[in-house]
Amino acid sequence: MTIRLDRRQFLLGSTALAAAAGISPAFAQQALRLIFWGSQARADRTYGVTDLYAQAGGPEIEGEFLAWNDYWPKLATQTAGGNAPDVIQMDYRYIVEYATRQAIAPLDEFVGGALQLADFDQDQLDGGKVDGKLYGISLGANSVALMINTADFEKAGVPVPGPTTTYADFEAMADAFAAAGVGKKVLADGSGSEPMFENWLRQRGKALYTAEGGLAWEEGDAIDWFTMWAGLRDKGVCVNAEDQALDTGPLETTMLTLNKASVIPSNSNQLVAFQAINQDRITISNFPRIATDAPGGHYRKPSMFFSVAGGSGNKEEAAKFVSYFVNSPDASKVLGVERGIPCSKSVREALAPTLDEQSQIALNFVANLGPLLGALPPSPPAKAGEIDASLFRVISREVGFGARSAEDAGKALFSGANDILSRAS
Amino acid sequence: MVAEAGTTRRAVDSGWWSRALANNAPGYLFLLPWLIGFLGLTIGPIVTSLYLSFTNFDLLTAPRWVGADNYIRMFTNDAKFLASMRVTLFFVIFSVPLKLAFALGVALLLNRGMKGLPVYRALFYLPSLLGASVAIAILWRQLFAGDGVVNQFLAPLGIVGPSWISNPRYSLWTLIILSIWQFGSPMIIFLAGLRQIPQDMYEAASLEGASKWRVFWRITLPMLTPVVFFNAIIQTIEAFKSFTPAFIISAGTGNPINSTLFYTLYLYQEAFGFFRMGYASALAWFLLLLVACFTAFSFLTSKYWVHYDD
Repeated sequence: MTIRLDRRQFLLGSTALAAAAGISPAFAQQALRLIFWGSQARADRTYGVTDLYAQAGGPEIEGEFLAWNDYWPKLATQTAGGNAPDVIQMDYRYIVEYATRQAIAPLDEFVGGALQLADFDQDQLDGGKVDGKLYGISLGANSVALMINTADFEKAGVPVPGPTTTYADFEAMADAFAAAGVGKKVLADGSGSEPMFENWLRQRGKALYTAEGGLAWEEGDAIDWFTMWAGLRDKGVCVNAEDQALDTGPLETTMLTLNKASVIPSNSNQLVAFQAINQDRITISNFPRIATDAPGGHYRKPSMFFSVAGGSGNKEEAAKFVSYFVNSPDASKVLGVERGIPCSKSVREALAPTLDEQSQIALNFVANLGPLLGALPPSPPAKAGEIDASLFRVISREVGFGARSAEDAGKALFSGANDILSRAS
Repeated sequence: MVAEAGTTRRAVDSGWWSRALANNAPGYLFLLPWLIGFLGLTIGPIVTSLYLSFTNFDLLTAPRWVGADNYIRMFTNDAKFLASMRVTLFFVIFSVPLKLAFALGVALLLNRGMKGLPVYRALFYLPSLLGASVAIAILWRQLFAGDGVVNQFLAPLGIVGPSWISNPRYSLWTLIILSIWQFGSPMIIFLAGLRQIPQDMYEAASLEGASKWRVFWRITLPMLTPVVFFNAIIQTIEAFKSFTPAFIISAGTGNPINSTLFYTLYLYQEAFGFFRMGYASALAWFLLLLVACFTAFSFLTSKYWVHYDD
C-alpha cells in the first residue's frame, strides 16, 4: 500500500523534475535560488544580471522578490523549513540574528577563491562581519537622505534643502509654499521614521542603541523629539496625521509619491526608484540639522548584503555568483547604483561615466558626505525591528492624532522600548 | 444510526473491528487522499500548535518549553492583546447584527415574487464571493481614501469627508461596512427560510386583517428564528476570524494607531512579524476557546428565543 503510494509520489516528483529540466538548458548544473526584497525596478536590474551570469556560463538563477514587509516572514519560514534559497539578500538589522543561528554561512573560506574582494572598501567589508567572520557581502554603500521634489521648490521660489538646512529652516519654506500655492506641505511627518530619529539623536551626540543592545538615549530625548514634530505639525510644516497614515511602506504610498509633501526621509540609493515613479525631478540631500554647528549624524551604511544560506548545498557556486554580482563591470552597468554605491573601487570607476544624471547625484551624495559622516553604529539588537514597528510608529501617530501628548509619548516610548528589550523571547 | 448499529454488533461479535475494516476498506481507500491531507495538513499542525503554545519558538532555533507562560502573559502583561480584543469584539458586536438585518431586509424584498428573481439573487450574492478577497480590500482602500469615490460623492453635498481609512475614528467602520456589504450568503439562507413558512399562516393572518408589520413580528420572524440562529452563529465565527480586509487595508499594521488591529492580525504580527510562534499559537488557541464559548452560549440561550415548529 504505502510502497505504491510512495512510487506514485516518486513518479509524480520525477515528472515535475523532468519538466523543470526541460525548461532549463543546463541540466547538469543545478540552479541556484535567490531571494531579495525590493521594487520592480530592482527586480528588473537583478534579473538582468542573473541573465548575464547564465549567458557567461554560470548556473541558472531562480530569483524571487517581495516587498520588505513580506520578505522577512517568508525568509524565516523558508529557513525554518530547511528550504532557504542559496543566495539571500540580508539587512544590517537581521544579519546578527541569522549569523548566530547558522542560518547564513561564514564566507571567509571562499575569499580569494570563489569570492574576490581585493579592492573592496574596508568599512563595507567590516559591516558584513559578525564576531570577526564574514557573513554578508555589501551590495552598495548608502546613507539616509531626504528625497526632494525640486519642481515644488522652484514653484515656491526657495532653494532646495542643503547641507546646512536645519529643522527650523523648514518653517520659512512652509510659508513660501503656502504663499506660492504649491498645494502640499514641505515635509512628510517624520516623527515615526526611525532613521530620522536616529540621525537626530546622533546629532545630539547620542545613538539609538548601545553596542550591548540597550537604549542609548533618554526619556527626555524622546519627549524633545515628539515635541519638535508636534510643533512642525501645528504650524503646517509637515503633513497631518490622517495623510501620513496613508503611508504603508512601499514607495508608491509615500507622501512624496502621493503628492502630499515635497520632502520625505529615505535612503540615498532609493533616488533611482523614486525617480522611476515620479514625474517631477527628484533630488537628494542630507537630513535636516538640529543646528549648523552640530555633527551631521550620517554614516555610510551597507545598504544590504548578499549572504549564503547555512544549509545551502551549493555554497561555493553561490559565493561565485555573489562575487560576479559585486565585481563584474557588466553586472554593475545593469545594476547602477540602485542598491547603493558599489563597494569595489574598480567597479565604481568603471561605472561612474556611464551613469545617468540621477545616479550621478546619488553617487556624489554618498561620496561627498564628508564632514556630515560619523562612525557606523553597532548592529541593532534583534528586538529593534519590533520596537520600530509596534511601538515607535504607533506612538508617533498617536501624537499626530492627538491621542497622546508629546511628553506622554516620550515617556511611553522609553518605557515601552525597555520592556520589549527585556522581554525574554 | 451507524454508531448504534455498531455497538450492538460489537457486543455479539468480537471480530467486529476487523470485519468492519474489511467491509469498509474500499471506502477508506477512496477517502485516503483526503485523509492524508486532513491528518498531515490539518490535524498535525493543530496538535503541533497546541504544543508550541507552551513554548518559545522563533522559527530559527528549536522550541523551548515555558509551561503556561504565554497564556499568563496574555492576561497579565499585554496591552496589545487587550487592544486587539477590544477591536475584534467591537467589530463582531456591530457587524454581525447589522449584516443579518440587512440580509433579512433584502431577502424580504426578494421574496415578494418579483420577476427575474434569480438574476437579482445572483447579483446580491456576488459581493459574498468577492468580499474577503485581496482585490476588494484594495478597492475599499480606494473608495474610502481622502480623495476616494465616497468623498467625491459627498463633495457636491458640501461635505468635506475625512480620509476614512486612515482616520482612527472611522477606519474600523469602513471594515464593518465592508462586512455588511457581503450579506449574500445569509441572504440566500434567509430566502430559503422564508419559503419554508407555510402559506396558510399568512392567509389566516390576512383574513383576520393583521397589518404587515404585525405579520412580520408575529409570524415571519418567529418562524424564521432557526435560520436567524444558524446565520448568527456562522457569521459570528466568521467575524472573529476576519483577517484579510484589515490586513490589506492597513498593510498588516492594524493602523491607524491600532484601530483596526483585529485579533487575527495581532496574532499574525506576533507570528510572522516578530517570530514568536509560541505566543502566537497560544493566541490562536485562546481564540478557538473564545469562539467555542460564544457558540456554546448561543446554543444554551437558543431555547428561549428559537422556535422549532415541529
